Amino acid sequence: MMFQLFKELRDAGLLGMNRRNAEYIMRYNSRARFPMVDNKVLTKQLAREYGVPTPELYHMIEHHGDIAGLEEALGDHMEFALKPACGSGGSGIVLIVDRGPEGFVSQSGRTTSRRDFTYHIASILSGIYSLSGQEDVAIVEALIHPAPIFAEVTYRGVPDIRIIVYCGVPVMAMTRLPTLASDGKANLHAGAIGAGIDMEKGVTLTAVHRSKVITHHPDTGNPIEGVTIPYWDSMLLTAAKAFEMTGLGYIGVDLVIDRTRGPLLLELNARPGLQIQVANESGLWERLVAVNQAPPEVFFKAEDRVAWAKKAFTARERL
Amino acid sequence: MKRPAAILALVLFALTISIVAYRILWLKYPVLPTIPGQVWQVSFEARIRPEKREAVIAIALPAEQAERVLIEERVTSDTLNFNLFPEGVNRIGLWSGTSDKEVVIITYKGALLLRPTRFPASQNPTLSSNVPAITHEEEAFMERFSARLKTLDSQQRFKTVASVTGGRQEESLSREDIDILHKMEKKHGRSGALLILFRAAGLPAHAVSGLLLAKGIQKSPATWVEAWEGQKWQSLDTQTGKIYTDPAMHLALAMADTPVVQVTKGQVLDTRWSMERQIMSKWRLHFERIKRSQHLIDKWSFFSIPEEFQNVFRILLLVPVGALMICLLRNVIGFPTFGIFMPVLLALAFRSTGLPYGLGIFASVVLIGYAARRGLDRLRLLLVPRLSVLLTLVIICFGLFALIGGKLSIRALMGVGLLPIVILAMSIERFFILIEESGVGEALRTAAGTVAVAVITFIIIQWEPLQLTFFIYPELLFAVAGLQVLLGRYTGYRVSELFRFKAVARKKG
Repeated sequence: MMFQLFKELRDAGLLGMNRRNAEYIMRYNSRARFPMVDNKVLTKQLAREYGVPTPELYHMIEHHGDIAGLEEALGDHMEFALKPACGSGGSGIVLIVDRGPEGFVSQSGRTTSRRDFTYHIASILSGIYSLSGQEDVAIVEALIHPAPIFAEVTYRGVPDIRIIVYCGVPVMAMTRLPTLASDGKANLHAGAIGAGIDMEKGVTLTAVHRSKVITHHPDTGNPIEGVTIPYWDSMLLTAAKAFEMTGLGYIGVDLVIDRTRGPLLLELNARPGLQIQVANESGLWERLVAVNQAPPEVFFKAEDRVAWAKKAFTARERL
Repeated sequence: MKRPAAILALVLFALTISIVAYRILWLKYPVLPTIPGQVWQVSFEARIRPEKREAVIAIALPAEQAERVLIEERVTSDTLNFNLFPEGVNRIGLWSGTSDKEVVIITYKGALLLRPTRFPASQNPTLSSNVPAITHEEEAFMERFSARLKTLDSQQRFKTVASVTGGRQEESLSREDIDILHKMEKKHGRSGALLILFRAAGLPAHAVSGLLLAKGIQKSPATWVEAWEGQKWQSLDTQTGKIYTDPAMHLALAMADTPVVQVTKGQVLDTRWSMERQIMSKWRLHFERIKRSQHLIDKWSFFSIPEEFQNVFRILLLVPVGALMICLLRNVIGFPTFGIFMPVLLALAFRSTGLPYGLGIFASVVLIGYAARRGLDRLRLLLVPRLSVLLTLVIICFGLFALIGGKLSIRALMGVGLLPIVILAMSIERFFILIEESGVGEALRTAAGTVAVAVITFIIIQWEPLQLTFFIYPELLFAVAGLQVLLGRYTGYRVSELFRFKAVARKKG
């Protein structure tokens, strides 16, 4: 019975945690390069070098003593996003839309007093949200105004697009749509929806919510399938170039589409999750194996890799 | 990539197999711990009333001989000091010191392993000088008696002496001599008279005080006479003159004139020896063999370290097995746990509290900690001080448990000290963050996973046969490392992933 199930998973080409860690992350992601993706400040610097747009960095708070100078540094910027530089899974991120005598108004409409806000920054600095638990830096960057493409299927917050890139080839993608339950966070663990994306056309497919396959958004009630994502080719190219940027062979590239600035690189992830397979109802492993078997000339240029991936991983072929 | 790991694992397995095979095939280690051996548990207890707050008592204790080995000894001395010193062939334990108490209780416990196949080295002993002073009449009797035995060999002389005592062959003596013998017995006691007879017969002999190796309680030690029969020592009952056929039936405590219990200061209220027969595994007996072995591999065994540290290593050697279980449960099954080795530490801690109390304590500390953490959240404490507060809280909880345990005399509650306090404090923090970020369900699942792994690990490290196996064959750790290496290269699915991806697999299939 159990072996039958194992075989079913294998036949479906699904990637398990152990194989992901041992055969892809450990083999293709050199430990020395991890800080480039684990630290958002370094990722931003790297992206600037390669001409990849990212949300504008307003300010950085490195020491507890600098917290008081935040509002002065913000100047006219009323809206901003506060993030831990080494955070993971969206934890510790606060989105602020306004500021008044009462304190900071968050995107969900809640007012946070200045004392609470200071405490939150101090928590970030002491490293609660950092991956290794070491002291961290808080970054303040421009708030993203998401393009309205996902408005029908998003409850507040900013939907983002995750593309898994293997050896520079974008292999699988999904969009993460915040829900009421996820409190505006585009994080599957927090209750966001993950919708698979057809690699060729950039159109949303099936969706997963709390590890169940769904067709409609639980809060807005609109169908998730069939949303065409703009800038799809340029996002695939950005994702493909992340390989040259970081030198990491297996990464998750997180992008957002800003209303005015277009696609922006939000962050990179050296240990991207496996839930994307459920969102796409498709196995990652078989796609990774397909990349390994691709002709070598495909890998020279990012454009070629994208073109190859679009052809190889179209959803229609499978249906 | 897979090959080097597999080769390393194979080398580790081969190493283990060859060392184990060497021990079993060449050094004849037992494979299965089945056959019980002959072990007697000797317990002694005495109640002593100190004289002017002082007490000095000397007790003859069992000594190691060729045919018996002391496996373990334990002494309690109340407020007195205990010293051990040899006195000739005897081994004397001396309890001395002052005490304000009415009655002082001293105890001794020893486990004796009998090895009847090994007889003492047969060397011709010299004539004993421990013979009572004798009168002219007795001297004349002795001369007559020894003249009668002159023509006999030592074995026959021994038999004659044995038959004369106990009055079974008194007719071989003249009436007059029988009278003298009876008088002698009255004067010197039966054993004294026997010693005189053996002296007359020219056979070395001495009186022995000791215990009968029989289940039960003996209020005072028995006395018998050991005499050289030509080839070996034989023991004689002083009352009946009967020869003890099985030398292993008696446990000698004091030879010659040394009494078993000697009180210099104080008053002995009562003494009792109790003998209990114990079944011990063949392995346990084998420990003794290893302890005395001259092989290099035996000299470097864990038996060469003191007993109290041996017990620590019995457990420590199983910790890698626990870690292996964690590899298995996390990477192959997919249990979520707080921290990687937290369950192993919990399992180790459960050893002093027992499973039910251990789990109860763990659950209540995490719950109390969680409640406190919720409260602390409003105070906006920085991370390190906040964790310090939780740590302090954990210690306070432990203190309370210990105090409650003390009041209710529940030992398990007092044994909380070994719970991994720092990790417990971190777990509370992780539990809180997990509830905040991923919901109560996920947090409870992780807690349940931690407890399940801890319980499984606990059952494994508490299993005595496994403890002994690793203790005797510590090279098994190489094999454990080999398995860990192999598990490190396990790239298959986790059982939890079967459920996670089942829908996708079905859809595609």
